[in-house]
Amino acid sequence: MAETHGRGDGEGLLKRSFFLAIGLVTAACGDGATVSDDPFCQAVLPRVAAFLEESRAANPTPDDPRYGGTVVVGNYGEISDGMNSAISSDYTSTQHQQFVNLMTLIRYDENVTPQPYLAESWEVAPDGRSITFRLRQDVYWHDGERTDAHDVAFTWDVVTDPLTAFPNAAFWNHYVKGPEGIEVIDDFTVRIHLEPHAEFLDAIRHVGILPEHLLGDVPHDRFREHPFGTQCPVGNGPFVFESHLPQQRWTFVANPVFPQALGGRPFVDRYVYRNIPEQTTLLTELLTGNVDIYIAPSPDHAEQILEDPNLELIAYTSRQYNMVIWNARRPQLADPRVRRALTLATNREQIVEAILQGYGVISHTGVPPFHWAYDPEGLPVLPYDPQAARALLDEAGWRDRDGDGVRESADGTRLEVTIKYNPNQLRQQTAEVMQSQLAEIGVAAQPQSVEYTTLVRQINDLVERDFDGVLLGWVTEFKVDDLDLFHSERIGQPYAWSGTRNAELDHLMEALNLTVDREAARPLWQQYQEALIAEQPYTYLYFPERLGGVNRRLRGVVMDARGDWVNIKDWYLDPASR
Amino acid sequence: MTKYVVRRLLGAVPLLIGIATIVFFAVNLAPGDPASYFMAPGMTQEVVEQMRTNFGLDDPVPVRYVKWLGSMLTGDFGFSFSHSRPVLDVLTTFLPNTLLLSACALSLAFLFGIFLGTLQAVRQHSAFDSATSVVLLFFYSMPSFWLALMLILTFSLFARNVWEWPVWFPASGMTPTDYDFLSFGEQVRARFMHLVLPTASLALVLTAGIARYMRTSMLEVIRQDFVRTARAKGLSERVVVFKHALRNALIPIVTLAGLYIPILFSGSVFIEYIFAWPGLGRTIVDAINTRDYPLVMGGSFFFATMVVVANLIADLLYAVVDPRIRYERT
Repeated sequence: MAETHGRGDGEGLLKRSFFLAIGLVTAACGDGATVSDDPFCQAVLPRVAAFLEESRAANPTPDDPRYGGTVVVGNYGEISDGMNSAISSDYTSTQHQQFVNLMTLIRYDENVTPQPYLAESWEVAPDGRSITFRLRQDVYWHDGERTDAHDVAFTWDVVTDPLTAFPNAAFWNHYVKGPEGIEVIDDFTVRIHLEPHAEFLDAIRHVGILPEHLLGDVPHDRFREHPFGTQCPVGNGPFVFESHLPQQRWTFVANPVFPQALGGRPFVDRYVYRNIPEQTTLLTELLTGNVDIYIAPSPDHAEQILEDPNLELIAYTSRQYNMVIWNARRPQLADPRVRRALTLATNREQIVEAILQGYGVISHTGVPPFHWAYDPEGLPVLPYDPQAARALLDEAGWRDRDGDGVRESADGTRLEVTIKYNPNQLRQQTAEVMQSQLAEIGVAAQPQSVEYTTLVRQINDLVERDFDGVLLGWVTEFKVDDLDLFHSERIGQPYAWSGTRNAELDHLMEALNLTVDREAARPLWQQYQEALIAEQPYTYLYFPERLGGVNRRLRGVVMDARGDWVNIKDWYLDPASR
Repeated sequence: MTKYVVRRLLGAVPLLIGIATIVFFAVNLAPGDPASYFMAPGMTQEVVEQMRTNFGLDDPVPVRYVKWLGSMLTGDFGFSFSHSRPVLDVLTTFLPNTLLLSACALSLAFLFGIFLGTLQAVRQHSAFDSATSVVLLFFYSMPSFWLALMLILTFSLFARNVWEWPVWFPASGMTPTDYDFLSFGEQVRARFMHLVLPTASLALVLTAGIARYMRTSMLEVIRQDFVRTARAKGLSERVVVFKHALRNALIPIVTLAGLYIPILFSGSVFIEYIFAWPGLGRTIVDAINTRDYPLVMGGSFFFATMVVVANLIADLLYAVVDPRIRYERT
């Protein structure tokens, strides 16, 4: 009897492991290419698959060893907005819209000069009030429809409509918005109307064109919810969407009918984007060869990548800059001399060396290194000079009157500032370094960590502006436009963080915004930056270098200010490694 | 029994509505809002306002509360801003992944925990007992995210790049990128390989705890009279321990199981992050960071429901293991 029970227990165990195995197996069947059950996707994806098969049959892969294989890119987050260019501001999403799945009318070359892309040519009217784009006639949506001028007009209509809430509304400041802003001349010609202004093609370069035949019926205020973005995008770019497993990966395949004149189909057969939120894991996956590219490793991972002979490290100055914004509404920060002293006392070389391990370029204004007007040599920059900082504070009337190491004004206000930042190791270290550097000139700086969206509210709220100093990273477009940040008339807008008023800056920003000719703009940029350095609404810290870890079996990878995916079409895998 | 279950379920309704209310106000009164997450250069105040309107956030909070509660009662959890999909879709996409991981971890943890704890109790004060205690305490006091990183380092990075073992485990994800091209057998194997490290990091820590409880519980039972009687009847030690003593020693472990069952659903956020596991915990934390209100509210409500159900299951399990507990007359 006892023995029977003994065996019974054994059977229970057996049974349990059997069910565990069954569970595993059923789970295995349940995965794979999950097709969204949304009716829109159900209708669209089979058409994409059919057109892909048809165009593959008609366009065999060219006989060149560079074609073929799968490239895997690992990054810390999702492609959150997907291919929905109408609502997108997220970096990874716009990269995929511009270079992977969709096409823009024009694109930049490595010198940030506009080049033909979906538009094969364009012409600016002599009065500068319209641009006429002539489109390529050999670009097809991935479901087989041809891309034409109506798609461009449709996209324009959507992104400039306030109902859509396109995040970068400032793009359209000098354009005629809505249907009046764009004319369809013929099926492959459109004309866009605008007021002449600086770098007017930058907004055009940004926006991926969307398919009218699929999205024409979507109410503009419902674009963010549409499954097109993340469940079944249909683009016209070099890569065709295949599948998206949320939180795991996106898979794209080469578009066999991508125009020959633009280089034809991409070299790789498949491109997989993997979402790996933990950087240590991502580094492991790069080192073990499970991903070919690790996007934006932190500086402390750079060394391990450099040590591995199979890996290559790419470093480039991105469009980001980091700064401390001073709230000039605060009595202790109202005087530009105080703000200049804070900058003079900040050893930015040390911050870049110690915290970024050298992967950064010191900044003095928001004009980034890739910009044509970038020329720090010619600027009256504020170097690290604590002696000068002390003298400036003395002159401004801030002295340590009670001998406690912190300066006071004549009415007893202490020179104290909190420096807020969102939780992030680099920011925290920067704030702490600044705290000790500022202490040397008698300024009591207190670092304070605040969760990101809360921080945004504290600094953007027009009434509160609840901060003295805040450490922030800001990404510029290729068109540098500081109007929202510094113009006196926008002081009632969220981004007038510093709240400084400076008539000279106002005048120069307005002039720069409307000066089309670069040679005429160059001296204005010089004056503007000089005035900005004198005003010091921010202590500009550095332009971080964005890194990329790349497996050497992947060739031809270019990453620069245009982005990490800019030439994905030309990446190819070493044939011996496949 | 049925009457008891029905009464417990009915009692849960006001509880859940209360939870829903707290969740709603906690989320909506927290500082920050979804539109501020999208802050970008050039995003004007007008765009922010329009975005809030498109998100359905322009009504006052009480109006939104009534609307939300109303639609919840009809089974509509709303629309996730960050996933651009209905909340229920998002939850059901990630729930099975979390269940798979935590079910494997919990069953292994209970299996090994009960087994090791029993052996330790039976051989109390032996070298085996002390050695196991030391090892278990080592795992028990280790944070699971640190253990996870060590496992990745050892069984993924070093195993492949340094020691060149024939078998090494993938450090992240649930399936390989070429999953669709694998044969059925290979798919099952790939799934298994991806499960090993995350399951181990969760299970090792849990096992240690369970074994400690089990050891204590078994030590108490094994000294009781009925065990001595069983031995006196001449039953083999194995039968005495596993048949007679074990069932009694398991009662406190069932309480423990009731406490652990919610882990089945919430998963372990750290583990899901580190192993890039597409689970529910990670999804909800991401939703909190992006202020995806509908998903946070839907997700929290869902967890709350599961905890209520799990507690009920644990209470019912008592009746199974302990014949003294009966629910008819209560």
